[in-house]
This record gives sequence, C-alpha cells and structure tokens, in this order.
Amino acid sequence: MSWFWNFYEFILSLFWSSEMDITLLGLQNAGKTSLLRVLGGGEFTSDSIPTIGFSMKRVRKGRVNIKCWDLGGQPRFRSMWERYCKGVNAILFIVDSADPATLQIARMEFEALISKPSLEGIPVLVLGNKNDLPDAYDVDSVIDIMNLKAVDDREVSCYSISAKERTNVDAVLSWLVSKAS
Amino acid sequence: MSYKKNEDLDSGPGGAVMDKMTVFQDCIAGFNASPIQPRKCRVLLTKLTYLLSTGDTFARDESTRLFFSITKLFQHKDIALRQMVYLVIKELATSADDVIMVTSSIMKDTTVGSDVVYRPNAIRTLARIIDASTIQAIERLIKTAIVDKHPIVSSAALISSYHLLPVSREVVRRWANETQDTVLAQKPFPQAAYGGTASGLGIGPAGPASSFMTQYHALGLLYQLRSHDRMALIKMIQQLANAGSAMKSPAAIVMLIRFVARAIDEDRNMRRPLYTLLEGWLKHKSDMVNFEAAKTILEMRDSTDAEASPAINVLQLFLSSPRFVSRFAAIRILNRFAMIRPQNVNVCNIDIEALINDPNRSIATYAITTLLKTGNEASVDRLMKQITGFMNDISDEFKIIVVDAIRSLCLKFPSKQASMLSFLSGVLRDEGGYEFKRAVIEAMFDLIKFVPDSKEEALSYLCEFIEDCEFTKLAVRILHLLGEEGPSTAHPTKYIRYIYNRVVLENAIVRAAAVTALSKFSLIDDASVQESVKVLLTRCLDDPDDEVRDRAAMALRLSATEKPIAKEYLAPESVPSLGALEQQLILYVTGGPDAASVAFDISSVPFISKDQAVADQFRAKTMATLPILGGTAIDSGSGAGSGGVSPSKTPALGEDYAQKYAASLAKIPELQAFGALIRSSRPVPLTESETEYVITGIKHLYKEHLVLQFDVQNTLPDTVLEDVSVIANPSTADDGTEPYVEEFIIAIPRLTQESTGTIYVAFTRPSGEEHAYTGGVFSNTLRFTSKEIDPNTGEPEEEGYEDEYQVEDIEIGVADFLVPTYVGNFQHMWDQLSFETSETYSLAGVGSLSEACSSVIDSLSMQPLEGSETPLQNATHVLKLFARTLQGGKVVALVRMAYSAKTGVTLKISVRAEDERVAQMVVGGIA
Repeated sequence: MSWFWNFYEFILSLFWSSEMDITLLGLQNAGKTSLLRVLGGGEFTSDSIPTIGFSMKRVRKGRVNIKCWDLGGQPRFRSMWERYCKGVNAILFIVDSADPATLQIARMEFEALISKPSLEGIPVLVLGNKNDLPDAYDVDSVIDIMNLKAVDDREVSCYSISAKERTNVDAVLSWLVSKAS
Repeated sequence: MSYKKNEDLDSGPGGAVMDKMTVFQDCIAGFNASPIQPRKCRVLLTKLTYLLSTGDTFARDESTRLFFSITKLFQHKDIALRQMVYLVIKELATSADDVIMVTSSIMKDTTVGSDVVYRPNAIRTLARIIDASTIQAIERLIKTAIVDKHPIVSSAALISSYHLLPVSREVVRRWANETQDTVLAQKPFPQAAYGGTASGLGIGPAGPASSFMTQYHALGLLYQLRSHDRMALIKMIQQLANAGSAMKSPAAIVMLIRFVARAIDEDRNMRRPLYTLLEGWLKHKSDMVNFEAAKTILEMRDSTDAEASPAINVLQLFLSSPRFVSRFAAIRILNRFAMIRPQNVNVCNIDIEALINDPNRSIATYAITTLLKTGNEASVDRLMKQITGFMNDISDEFKIIVVDAIRSLCLKFPSKQASMLSFLSGVLRDEGGYEFKRAVIEAMFDLIKFVPDSKEEALSYLCEFIEDCEFTKLAVRILHLLGEEGPSTAHPTKYIRYIYNRVVLENAIVRAAAVTALSKFSLIDDASVQESVKVLLTRCLDDPDDEVRDRAAMALRLSATEKPIAKEYLAPESVPSLGALEQQLILYVTGGPDAASVAFDISSVPFISKDQAVADQFRAKTMATLPILGGTAIDSGSGAGSGGVSPSKTPALGEDYAQKYAASLAKIPELQAFGALIRSSRPVPLTESETEYVITGIKHLYKEHLVLQFDVQNTLPDTVLEDVSVIANPSTADDGTEPYVEEFIIAIPRLTQESTGTIYVAFTRPSGEEHAYTGGVFSNTLRFTSKEIDPNTGEPEEEGYEDEYQVEDIEIGVADFLVPTYVGNFQHMWDQLSFETSETYSLAGVGSLSEACSSVIDSLSMQPLEGSETPLQNATHVLKLFARTLQGGKVVALVRMAYSAKTGVTLKISVRAEDERVAQMVVGGIA
C-alpha cells in the first residue's frame, strides 16, 4: 500500500503545499552557504567563495517549500540583514563554534538583530556549526556564550551541527518545517 | 485580467497618467507578496521601466526600497520575469544604495549554460552593480563568458568589460588575451539553440549568423586596452588587417579603419604601409568597408593625387548604385573632398550631373553643391538656375549647405557675383529658420568683405531684409555692418533712412544697435549729413529705453567734440582682444573682495587692430565650415576613455600662452620684480607620459630674465616626494662664459602621491645688445627625497632616500625670441624692411610640403600669412611668415620650397628685418 500513500502525499502536496521564507545569518566564514548546500541535498565543499550580498535557494522538505535567503556575513552586508528578515518564518543564526575569537562578535551582532522591533517574535535557531573540529564548543557552551537564556520574547533553539559531516542537519530541517505556517 | 493590465500600460505613452507614486506603491506590495505572481510582477516592472525611461526619477531611499523589493523576485523560474528583473536593476543601479547585494545571486545566473536566454542579461547587470573592491570576484566569470562560443553571451561580456574599464582598468586589462582570441573567432549564431524563442526575439536565422558582431565588440575593447601603447596598437592593426577573411564583421573592419586613420594621423612613418591596407579595403565586398576606406583616404592630410584616385573611382561606381543610401554616402564623401580639392573630383562630374534630378532631395543637394565646387565658370549660371528650382523643396539644413557652397563660389568667381547676389537675396526672402538666415547673411557679409564690387548692392539687399526681419540677432549684426561700411559708400544718406526706420519700429536691442550705427554717420565730412544725423539722434533722446538714450546722448556729445576724439570713440581703429577681455573679466569677477576694491584695468587687455580682428574671424569661420582634415569622427566610435586627439594643427599665437600663465606667475612674489611677462612657450613634455614622474617644461621670457617652469606630476600611488627641485644647467657659450646666470629656484616642499606641483627656476638673461638673442641649452635633473607610504597607517615613512632623475633638455632658440603676429599686408611689410639675408636648406627626411610648412612654422614660431600654411600644390609652395621680436622689431620671412620624391623638400628662406643680426638669427633658426 506504500505506493498509495506516496500518491496520496503527492496529491496532498498539489493542494496543500505550503511556502515559507527563512534567512540564514552569521558572521563571514560561519558556514551559511555550505549549510544551505547540504540542506538542499548537495555535497559539502570546502572551497566555496564568500557570498557577496545574498543568494537565494529553494529547499523542499515533504510538503513544505522553503525559500532560503543566504546573506553575506561580511561587515558591509550586516546592516542589510534586517531588510531580509522582515516577515520571514524563521531566522537561522549560524556561528562557528570552533572559533572563540569570533563568537563574541557574533553575540553582539545577534543581540543587535533580535532587539530590532520589526523582527519581534520571529523564531530563531542558533546553530553552532563545525562541531566536527577538535576544539569546538558543545551546545551548552554555545548557549552560554551567546547568552541565549536571556532571550525571552520569542522561541529560541540551539543545535550543535556539522555541515561537513551532516550531523544534526535533519534536525534543523524538521525544526524549520515545524515553523511553516 | 492580465490582458486588461497590458492595455492600461499601452495607454501610458498616450495620455493616461501613470502616476509615479501609485506605481511605486504597487511595486512594493506586488514584489513582496508571497507566492510571487510572475505575470503581475512583469507588468509592474514594465511600468517601472517606462517611468524610468521617460525621465521620471525616484529619490534615493525610494530607489533603494524598490531595489530591495525587486531582489525578492530573484531566482524565479519564470524566464521572462528574470529578464525584466535584470533590465530594471540596470536602471536602478545608479540611483539605489547597496546594489552590491545582488552580486552573488546574479553570479549564479551568469554561470549557467550558454543557451539560457537570460545569461547575457545577467552578465550586463553584473557589470553595472560591481565596484572596484569586488571586481576580482567576477574576473574568472567574465573571462569564461568572453570566450563563450555563443555570440550573444560573448558580446554581453565584452560590452560589460568596456563598462568596467572606469571601475578598474587593471583588472580588465588582464582579460586582453581572451579578448584578442575573440576578435578573430567566428561565432556563428547557433541555429536551433533558442528553438522557439529565436523568432520571438525577432532574430531570423540568417541575420545574426552573418553579422559576427562579437568581433566588433572585441575589437573595441581591445583598442581601449591597448590605447596607451602605440606600438601594440600598430601591431594589432597589422595583425588583424592581415588576418584576411577571419575578420568577418564589416562593422569591425570599419572600426579598424578608423584606428588606421588615427595611427596615420599620429605617426607619419606609418603612412605608407597603412595606406596599402586602406587601398585593399577599397575592394572589400562590403559597401560599408569601401565607404569608410575611401573616406579615410580622402580625409588624410596631404594625400597625393595618386593616392586619392582609387578612392574616388570606387565612390564614382557607387554614384550610380540603385540604392539611395549608397548614392548618398558616396556623394557626401565626394562633396567634402571637393571642398578642399575640387580638381580631383572633376572626373566624376558626369555621374554627379545625373544625380541632380535624383528623387531624393538630399542626394540632389549634395550633387549640386559638389558641382558648384568642381564646375568651371561657364556652368555656374546653369547650376544656379537649377538650384533655384528646388530650393523650396529641401530642408533648412540642406539649404545651409547650398548657401555655403554659393559663398565659396562667390569668392572663387568674383565675376559671377551679380547672379549669386540675386540668388542670395532671393532665398533671403524665403521662409526659413534662424540658422538658415544666418548662413545667408554671413555669405553676404563675406561678399561685401572680399568682393568690393558687390558692396553697394549687397548692402541695399540687407537694408531691405532688416525692414522685415524677425531675428533680433541678425538685425543687430546687419545694423553694425551698415554702420561700419555705410559711411564710406557713395551715397551714405540712403542708409540713414533705413537705419532710422529701425529706431522707430523695433525693440530696444535693435534700437540701441541702430543708434550706434547712426552715430558713425556723424563722422562723415558733410555738414548737412552731420546736421541731419544730429537731429535724428536728438529724437532718440526721448526713447523709453535707458540704453538707447545713453547711446544717443553719448553720440551727440562726441559729435560735438573734436573729430579725432569722436573718431576714437565712435569708430575705433583697434578693439580689445575679446578672448583676453573675457578671461580678464572672469579673473576680476572671481577674484573676491580684494580684486573688486580697485577698478578693472582695461589696459591689461591687449588691443588688436581691426585688420587682425577680421582675420581672426575669418580664420574661425573657415575652421568651422571646412571639414577639418585628419580629424575623423573616431571619438564616437571609441567611446569611453578615449584620449582626445586634437586634430588642430594650427600653430597657436604665442601671446595666448603668455595670457594663460601671466596670472599664475604674477602671484609669485619673487617673480614680480622681473616686470611684465613678454612671452611664454607652449608646454613641452620632458619625459615620456607613462613614467613615474611626468614633467613638462615651459619657458617664460621677461625683459632681462628667463624663468623655466617645470610642472612635475608624481604618478606613484604610494610615494611622497619632498624637497623637489630641478637643477637646470645652462650650456656654456663658445667663449667659455655662461650667458645665463641662475638666480634662484622655487622648489616644491612636498609632493604627495598622484599630485602635481610646479617648480620655477629663474635666470638672468645675457645683457647687452649683441647678446640679446643668445640661445642656450639647459640640461635638467630632477632632485628629490622619496618617501614610501606605509600601507597600514597611510603615513609616509620617516626615512626617505635622495634620488635624481634625468629629464630631457630645454633649448632656448630662435622661436623663443619671436612672437607670431598677424599683419594684414605682407608685401607692404616686405618692402618696408631693409636688411635681407637668405639661405638654402635641403630637408631630406620630410615627406611633403605641408609637413615642411608646419615644421618651419614651429621652429621659427612665426605667423603664417595669407593662408600660406596649407600648400595647394604638391611640387612647389611659397610660405609667408611674420613675427615681432621681443623688443617689438618686425621680421618677415619668405620661404620658397620645392618637393620631389627623390630629394625631399628643398627650401630657400629669405628674411628681412630691421636689424641684420635678427635676420641672420632667423635664417639660422631652421635646423
């Protein structure tokens, strides 16, 4: 009967497919573009070039069509994050958990972002990427460093992932799908 | 639904108001909607393009909002929407902030397969949004696109590179190899690539396949990349010209021909080999190429008869072509050539006569005007009759061409002036715009000036014209002329009536001009005339306009005074040099409160005699009407960043340079003691223009001193120069003494990176009569302390090192002691002066008479007279020159020259001056 269920899913998707927007933010070299590639089912590559501005990619998970806005992390683009976050279903904030030096800057940028009135209430998922590297922080340390416990006006989750090893990538997708309206 | 929207849009240009703010709001709402409705968005984008292209602009923040909402449409699968998005982003790229945001997204679209229809759009848009800091990121991408086998992708990349030149020349320069490959690559349009879309784009299968437009685009870019390096350019031209059939695109060859024209113009030595190329192109199978080659040959300065004749033959064949456009192009080129060398176009006369009745009026006009120039005296009357026949059928623009032709004809055949004058007065009565009427009036002015017999009649035609003239400017000019010429005619009273009529009937400007003209009649030696002029002027005192009353009052007052004084004010012999006057006034007005505290000093403006003013006017006029030889319309072809090559080869008057520098020199306290600046030379480059330090030298001569001015440009981006000075060592004279003694150096304390500064070195000139014209050679060394800039801090390092830099010598020669001056009558001057010296020279390396002329004029710095600077024949020529020495003495030179292919130019120069030494010096000045 499985073919029937597949067919049923397909018919459902024709009528009930839903569309959602998310943005991927984070400092440069946190792994946003690589993660997006992996989310979309592509292979991990380590030689991707820095994103200038933004790039958009669609990811399909079950009946949900996710439009992912991958924004450049260099300082010159950070002022434009807010524009692309307005009205999205969820924000993915990616940090490099193996690079302590940048984590403090990431925290400042993160706090500046969530304090914007226009982005009130949008759920945020903080991802500590690159947990395959030897001295990466674990998920609790990332929560501490990013001071996530202090955020009380919205839903905040935090996963420790590795785009390279595909660790927890499916969990990220499931989290996203759960935010589809 | 959407059809209806389209209809709305169509009515946009007609009358239905497309409100900017409504469109703006609709766009913001429409683009942010989710999911995206491609059809609706396309309509909105089209409206936006319509607004932008009809001149509406959005404020910066509105543009930015629009731009960011449009970025939401990216990566939509609707192809037409993607193309529209790119079109609009290109428009908004200049007015919105942060357009760099879309770089990554566009780059995705530029790397897709070359058969995707929006790839060229993406490439073109990319070039508009990129800035210098990110251009490296797209370097590889553009390179790949340039060599793409699809012509449209390749063209898009080439044109984008062209636009990127101002952004970063260095990066684009690295694409030269790819561009070079593309010039000769043949990229046919893939027949089936677009499938159904090809017809949708309006591209037939045959059209683009045979155009090879990429070659044209690639060549244009390659030229820009090499334009700094003349040798590389010549190499490129020769390589491409010899590539034979690999150059498929006629447009590319036409452009190549223009480059050839420029190369010939810049480097005489390249003339012979390049001419052979041009001759080859005359036989090319494309008309376009034939025309361009013929045009270039005929526009070459001093082309010989043998060189011109193949080009004329080719054009002659086109004269009987069945196509309008070919006939038009051919006759137009011949017409221009006929202005300069009518005798060479004679051979085509039969074909040209057949074109007089051409159904296309433009062709017919050109045919007639060409015949007017090439024809002999006998055919003039017949032609005039034919012109009168269709004068009413042609537009003003062509009427002006006809009138210009008639004007030059008048000067050529003065005996025909009666019929031509009646023709001119006839067309003057016709309907016509200002430009046309002005051309007619100018033609009549010239007649009056150069054909004295026609004066009375022409003046009376003009009087008649101003009776009913709607153009104030023309009326004023005619009144001025009547004032100038009227009093010296046989019946001056006749004109007084016409002039006074203007005072009664016209507006204030014309009335004022009429009063001035009238006042000149009061100088006539006839008591009754004087009396009636006085009565008329008295009546003008009641005029409602201030200016008219003032002029009348002044004229009345003056006419009551002594005759010489009245004459000086009413009809002065000399007038201020208008260019200089304007410049001085601008300096005065912009000088701030200090300058305004003293009255403007009119005596600082040089005065020129009336003869000279007339000659200057005449020269300006001939320059404007004659096609300037050698100056082709190449600039329109080469576009951005083309270094303007000035076609003007006329030697500028020495005083022009002195005027230019006098103000800046006067500001330097050390130099003020030297008195007035007598002469400044033209700037001479002392280094190659691409070196680290670019230096130009200018010589300023004072009564007893010489000042060398060095303009130093530091082109290094990361070095500061300190204590920059020039050590100029004068040569020693034959007797071991140093005629020039250095006084002081004004150095540049600090010359920052990529800036320009000026150094002055002052000398005392040799004193005494016998040494007044002693020349000298100065060897110059730039001396400075060089300090590198620390890239981290942007501050120059503490420690620098001293360095020297040898630059070219400056020579003080004959040319520096002479000031080219205009004089009306050469023969008169020649007869006046007594000391004569002559010498014969043979110039082996000089290839033509005109080259010899310009080199003689240059090295003597004398003013050519009676238009003798352009030789009319190829074998012999007489050049007449005049100048004044720094002390004001007159120098006349008569240079007879002969040319033969074997021995080059032989010339005999005879100089007459007030002083034997001067004469000898000038004779010796030709080196």
